[in-house]
Amino acid sequence: MVPGRCQTRVADADVELLPERALHWPQAGVLAVADLHWGKTESFQQHGIPLPLGVLDDDLARLSSALTATGARRLLLVGDLVHSRQGLTRDVISRVNTWREAHASLEVVLIRGNHDRHVRTLPPIWRMEDREEVLDEGPFRFAHHPEPAAGRYVWAGHLHPMVRLTGGADRLRLPCFHLRPGVGVLPAFSAFTGGMDVRRGRKDRVYAVAGTAVVEV
Amino acid sequence: MQPTKPRRNRMRGKHAPETQTESPEPKRTRAKRPAPRSPSPYQGAPLEQLRQWFASKGWTPYAFQEEAWAAYARGDSGLIHVPTGAGKTYAAYIGPLADVAERDQKGLQILYLTPLRAVSRDVEQALREPLLALDADLEVESRTGDTSSSVRQRQRERLPQVLITTPESLSLLLTQEQAAENFASLRAVIVDEWHELLASKRGTQVELALARLRHFAPGLRIWALSATLANLEEAARTVVGTDRKPTLVSAELQRPVDVETLLPAEMDTFPWSGHLGFTMLPRVAEWLDPTQSTLLFTNTRSQAERWFEGLRFLRPEWEHLLALHHGSIDREERERVEGGLKDGSLRLVVCTSSLDLGVDFGPVERVIQIGSPKGIGRTLQRAGRSAHRPGATCRILFVPTHALELVEMAAARDAIAGREVEPRTPLSKPLDVLAQHLVTCALGGGFTREALRDEVRTATSYASLTDEEFDWALTLVREGGPTLRAYPEFRRVVEVDCRFRVPDVRLARLHRLNIGTITSDASVQLRYWSGGNLGTVEESYVSRLKPGDTFLFAGRRLEFSRFKDMTAYVKPAKAKATQTPRWGGSRLPLSTSLASAMRRTLEAARQGDVTRDEIAAAWPILDAQARLSRIPGDGRCLAETCRTRDGHHLFLYPFEGRLVHEGLAALLALRLTRLQKATFSLSVNDYGLELLTPTPFPFDEALRPALFTRERLVEDILESVNLSELARRQFRDIARVAGLVMPGLPGARKSTRQVQASAALLYDVFVKYDPDNLLLRQARREVLEQQFEQGRLARTLERLGASPVEVVHVHRPSPLAFPLVVERISASVSNESLLDRVERLKERWSQADARPA
Repeated sequence: MVPGRCQTRVADADVELLPERALHWPQAGVLAVADLHWGKTESFQQHGIPLPLGVLDDDLARLSSALTATGARRLLLVGDLVHSRQGLTRDVISRVNTWREAHASLEVVLIRGNHDRHVRTLPPIWRMEDREEVLDEGPFRFAHHPEPAAGRYVWAGHLHPMVRLTGGADRLRLPCFHLRPGVGVLPAFSAFTGGMDVRRGRKDRVYAVAGTAVVEV
Repeated sequence: MQPTKPRRNRMRGKHAPETQTESPEPKRTRAKRPAPRSPSPYQGAPLEQLRQWFASKGWTPYAFQEEAWAAYARGDSGLIHVPTGAGKTYAAYIGPLADVAERDQKGLQILYLTPLRAVSRDVEQALREPLLALDADLEVESRTGDTSSSVRQRQRERLPQVLITTPESLSLLLTQEQAAENFASLRAVIVDEWHELLASKRGTQVELALARLRHFAPGLRIWALSATLANLEEAARTVVGTDRKPTLVSAELQRPVDVETLLPAEMDTFPWSGHLGFTMLPRVAEWLDPTQSTLLFTNTRSQAERWFEGLRFLRPEWEHLLALHHGSIDREERERVEGGLKDGSLRLVVCTSSLDLGVDFGPVERVIQIGSPKGIGRTLQRAGRSAHRPGATCRILFVPTHALELVEMAAARDAIAGREVEPRTPLSKPLDVLAQHLVTCALGGGFTREALRDEVRTATSYASLTDEEFDWALTLVREGGPTLRAYPEFRRVVEVDCRFRVPDVRLARLHRLNIGTITSDASVQLRYWSGGNLGTVEESYVSRLKPGDTFLFAGRRLEFSRFKDMTAYVKPAKAKATQTPRWGGSRLPLSTSLASAMRRTLEAARQGDVTRDEIAAAWPILDAQARLSRIPGDGRCLAETCRTRDGHHLFLYPFEGRLVHEGLAALLALRLTRLQKATFSLSVNDYGLELLTPTPFPFDEALRPALFTRERLVEDILESVNLSELARRQFRDIARVAGLVMPGLPGARKSTRQVQASAALLYDVFVKYDPDNLLLRQARREVLEQQFEQGRLARTLERLGASPVEVVHVHRPSPLAFPLVVERISASVSNESLLDRVERLKERWSQADARPA
């Protein structure tokens, strides 16, 4: 096992939860991430809010490192890839393209989310397969909205789950994987995202992303 | 200067004409413009006519009024300092009014600035009344956030000669393209309640606006009105700007203040902590007498809600005499309460600082302060609400909510006797306010770099503004930041034909929505399902409510139904309310004066002096403190160490107010982690601080004078500020003022949803990708200055380093420690790795899980 990752079994398949905020399904060679919000900083800038760039480059670098480390052949983007249409500037398109060229043989599938509705077509140069709602594969369904599906375990995003850890003197709030019976919610991939505290059910498992490691809490 | 006869003749500025012994007819006319005008019944020059009008009311001008009129006539600017209700409005107003009537010209002549958003009609009426004495045809109007759009539209074309407005509305007027022409005719600005604005960003905003006005109208005279402050000279210099020398007009009209404390009947059941203590409610209900009009001041809105509810429960027969007043209650309801106080139909009003200033409702017989008085100036102001007769004694009754407040009240009594009023210090060149002002000026006709830079420097708070700082603020609004690469899509202010302007209409609109420096959490309208506004609550509070939850608001029991379009819909609750909304925002710290008075009082108690009633009453608690530990002395600092199941505690009691303690706690935590790896969580209140760590820590060895050294103080504070939440919290306000966070206004909501992000998140992005951003530096500086409170922290450290630290090991938290344990805050300082902390938290969890099994 690679240090920092967390292995677990879901719907009779082995999966790994990565500290890069990604889900790895080794058997299928799949890496899944949710809520990337590309172009968010640029959207802010266009509204007259002077926010510095940097998030996208770091996010892309982290994505690359997860891809390289896992050797995944397919990348599933589980919704909210692009923050807003205005944010999709020429510069954003070209920076993403540079990243795409570095992973030329990678198959990339977008499963659309609520933010993506405003972007009718993705830049073709990115070479992404565009899925409207869901992608079913093996025992899993990948969908942006965390709604249960009969007969499949759903991997979703949308909620930006965060977990609060408190105890005596110390307290922390970290992004997390929230595995409920039937639905697993991935942490928001983008570092420039807020989040919602998870409501933990009795059978839920929660994995916090603590820096360079994923820890079940 | 003619002699004054304050006892016989009296004149009150902001009040409606009152019942006078000399004039048999009590007039109470509604604000109305006299139309058609009848000629003045008086002869002579305008000032002479105004004097006759004064005389006709049975008033003789006070010496300070004559002095102020003369100073205005000389062309001076300055500050008038007299107690509330002594006639300072007319002291400032009559001079300019006479001048303006003499000249009889069109266009804006006199600007009256008030910090109150809901401008009292009384101000308008008070400013209109003397017009009857004059021949000139002058108009008096208000312009605030509440002004109707038709009036605004008319004012856009033509301003009245006398305009009453707020700092925010003034800034909005400055964003109009024709601002320079609008203000060119201005003769005088009167800034009311300057002491309320002075030490805040609103005050800085006013300074910048005044600098702009001085530029538009070079002969402008500026007069501020202020209550007592320790730093009146500075207050005067700040309002007139660096290019004028202020004249200070003071009146020695101090009234005696009588302070009494309502003592608990028995101390056994009296709580040790918690500002919501209710034990005294029955005694207060007993003491109250509806024939005597009474204000009950509380320190927070939720406290006001609960006391109102409690009184209603105990005295249902007072239902129609009792009312509640605080800043979140719907404006109409507040006006109803103010009206009720005026006409005497309401006798008992529970309120917050919402009734501290502005609203004039005539004399109130009694004033009650529930809970800590917090500061001396503030208490004097509240006491001044009672017995508005000049020379008459003001009375205030203190009601403690927990035992230690008894000590505070004893201390406050001494400090009031010595008139130890606090200073209020203006801010030093906040760049967020400057950035906002630059956009305002770019909209209001545009500006050039050199001219505006020089103009801004005439604002006293910006006198030391460097070229670099000005250019940085300009760069922020033009390009986003000095590293252009990082802000490719950003633009707000653009240079067009050598002038800086805002060409983008959408951005102009957003700026106007965002103007101002008052920051609060996004607020949500509270409405009945059946219709009818109740007021506002904070979004963060509503977000925690579940449908069916009941809570108290505006004295009503409400059941939450749903949240939609920034409105929380409620219906009357059948069940008893289970909670009271909590409003975030300012919890006032103990003032310097009160804090040092408190140390003196405790020292006396330590020496066994129990002659003060409050101390005698609090003695069981102080005695328990003495037995378990020590009573903190003035010349030394008490430290307690303790071990509980939460971990290892260090308690320290500097008695310097919560802000200083917050800074001090972060600093000490940082310095302690240098001695040994640890994670500390911090807790502070007005009396002291607590450091708690889950692992054993050698506090005894660490507590040496070196720990309190002022060497590397700023560096250490900055480092601890980086580590802790303080800077991030401070950044919230800065981000809002500098236009980094879009306001949560209902109208702006939809269009800006994509650009909503919490300031904490923005802070993280800046720290990572533009660490040299000056707004970050400002956040740190504000933390420093506010925690320092102009060197207060440094002086505290000096005191702690010089005085012996008395370390006592206690087996359980002492009475002083107890409130700190209860009120633990979220800040923590750590140099352990994230993973270590998670693992340890996990461990604790599994232990906790294992226990009940």
